[in-house]
Amino acid sequence: MDLLTIVYLIYTFVSIYFLAFYTILFLGHRERMLESPKVTKEYSLSMVISCYNEEKSIRKVVESLLKSEYPIKKIIIVDDCSTDGSWKLIQEYAKRYDKILAVQTPKNTGNAAGAKNYGAKFVNTELIGFTDADSYPDENSINNMIGHFDDSKVGAVTSLVLAENKEKFLEKVQAIEYKMIVFTRRLLSFVDGVHVTPGPLAIYRKSAFDKVGGFDRKNLTEDIEITWHLVKEGYVVRMSSTARVFTIVPNKIKVWFNQRIRWNIGGIQTILKYKRYFGTNKVGMLGMFILPFFIFNWLLGLFGIFVLAYRVGRTIFIRYISTALSIQSQAAIITFGDINMTPSILVFFGIATIIMNLFLIGLALAYAREEGKKDHILNIVFYMFFYLLAYPIILIVSFFKFLTGKTSWGTK
Amino acid sequence: MVRLGNPKNVFWEAFLIAVIVFVFGLFMGLAIENSRIQDVNEYYENSEISLVDVLALNNVASLGDTSCDVLISSSLAFADRIFIESKELDDIDGANKISGNIEMIHRKYDLLRTLLWISSTKTLEQCGEEFSVVVYLYHRKDASVNERATQNVWSKILQNLKEKKGSKIVLIPISVDSELSSLDAMLSRYNVESYPSVIINGHVLTEVASVEDLEMYLDKDPVLGDILRLN
Repeated sequence: MDLLTIVYLIYTFVSIYFLAFYTILFLGHRERMLESPKVTKEYSLSMVISCYNEEKSIRKVVESLLKSEYPIKKIIIVDDCSTDGSWKLIQEYAKRYDKILAVQTPKNTGNAAGAKNYGAKFVNTELIGFTDADSYPDENSINNMIGHFDDSKVGAVTSLVLAENKEKFLEKVQAIEYKMIVFTRRLLSFVDGVHVTPGPLAIYRKSAFDKVGGFDRKNLTEDIEITWHLVKEGYVVRMSSTARVFTIVPNKIKVWFNQRIRWNIGGIQTILKYKRYFGTNKVGMLGMFILPFFIFNWLLGLFGIFVLAYRVGRTIFIRYISTALSIQSQAAIITFGDINMTPSILVFFGIATIIMNLFLIGLALAYAREEGKKDHILNIVFYMFFYLLAYPIILIVSFFKFLTGKTSWGTK
Repeated sequence: MVRLGNPKNVFWEAFLIAVIVFVFGLFMGLAIENSRIQDVNEYYENSEISLVDVLALNNVASLGDTSCDVLISSSLAFADRIFIESKELDDIDGANKISGNIEMIHRKYDLLRTLLWISSTKTLEQCGEEFSVVVYLYHRKDASVNERATQNVWSKILQNLKEKKGSKIVLIPISVDSELSSLDAMLSRYNVESYPSVIINGHVLTEVASVEDLEMYLDKDPVLGDILRLN
């Protein structure tokens, strides 16, 4: 058996493992997938919106929170020294509504964590929630999250983040990606494996938030870091599958790419910060699952892309030389005989894995379906076979940028 | 789904299922590969009989009782047969990933082809210009990227040549990494040192040539002298 075959078989095994893992979780908890605990106690809640140059979307975000079914005591809108008309809009809202407090950072903090922490200073409620200035929670979203806090171990509750804009191709593919993410995150929540409380909508127990010192300003993904920190401190992080929030996703490749670079660099920073807990059971699921899961996924992606690049590169090189020689000797460039019609076991395994993946994607799309909106099969195919390939490439660029110190806040 | 109590047992349950599915898949794969190998073995046994028949016919011819037509047609038929089988063998070789049994079959086929090469050369000696022998020598294993690309082109050109010339040529592809002493002797006889190479009626070609160029070698005087040096 050659080395490449062994590599392919290892990848096949890992794929089967994760597919089995998610399938078992789904089958074992399918009745709880869309379940949220009822509100039995009215916790006081403040919501913080951090805003930097979001004059186009901030109005809709504030309106969404004002319509919330859950009584929000205070809405604190933090302007991070915007250069557009955001601050003016925020002040107008503060004048119109008593529960809205408009605050501005003394100078631009340069990242979301800075503005969020600044806003948190004005909060004195039992719970503190955050939403991005380009994300719109449903009216009942917060209501569906609150019940989780009846469990005193719960330090944070996250929501189901979906794409708001789905017009362009890139947006449509991201919409599928977001559905896959929320589906798998929901499944991971059954084993206390939630590893991020995304910026679009998350609520924290204020005492827990204070205990971990708020968001880490040095980290580019403060929402990942705070989640790991909470888990490290012994808190449980839950996900409410019925708390939907719609966020604006990038519609330009460059913006999307920069966003993903930031996510990955933040991930690297977080791993390095918590690496000493790898494999230890002192910090619960952080050491035993979240950290290994994160690192293992990355290693698999990186190694896989190198193997793929080697295979594709070699094939292209051989094809290039063959074509040049074929032209020179007036031979056919491609013949039917070039195609091997005898499938190998790897082909069978590959087909089986694709079918299982399609099954999982089907479940995810059904789980996060939106009324009257369907995902086109071609977008699903593109997501599965091409879009996911970008992950390890982005990771390589992120590592490079991280190592060369080019770690700045690019976009949201 | 059987639950083992603790929800975190899902990690082990998934592992168990993955092992079962994976091992089942491996066994299925092995079964398919072995059935393919069995088919090839059957082909080989039939080819072996055909070759012995050709060799026997050559011996009969040396007694003067057999015409060149019969000798040539039997060599051609056998060459065509193992040419097709070699393509199937290559396909199976590319597809057989977990069982290593194919290596021995490759060696056996290479031996058959070498015997055919020797036998065809003798027939050529006896029957003159009636047909040509084209031997294609290549690396099956450990070929560099350049070699692999050149081999791809050579095999297409030779296939075109065979389609064009049909019963006028005996085309024998032989991989040179089977470590056969008879093959090594033939290679040193023709001073073949680099691969891929093509030997047409005794001429060793190492550079890729067009079908038209190769036809020139075939249409020339059969250059028996070059080949007959074997004897």
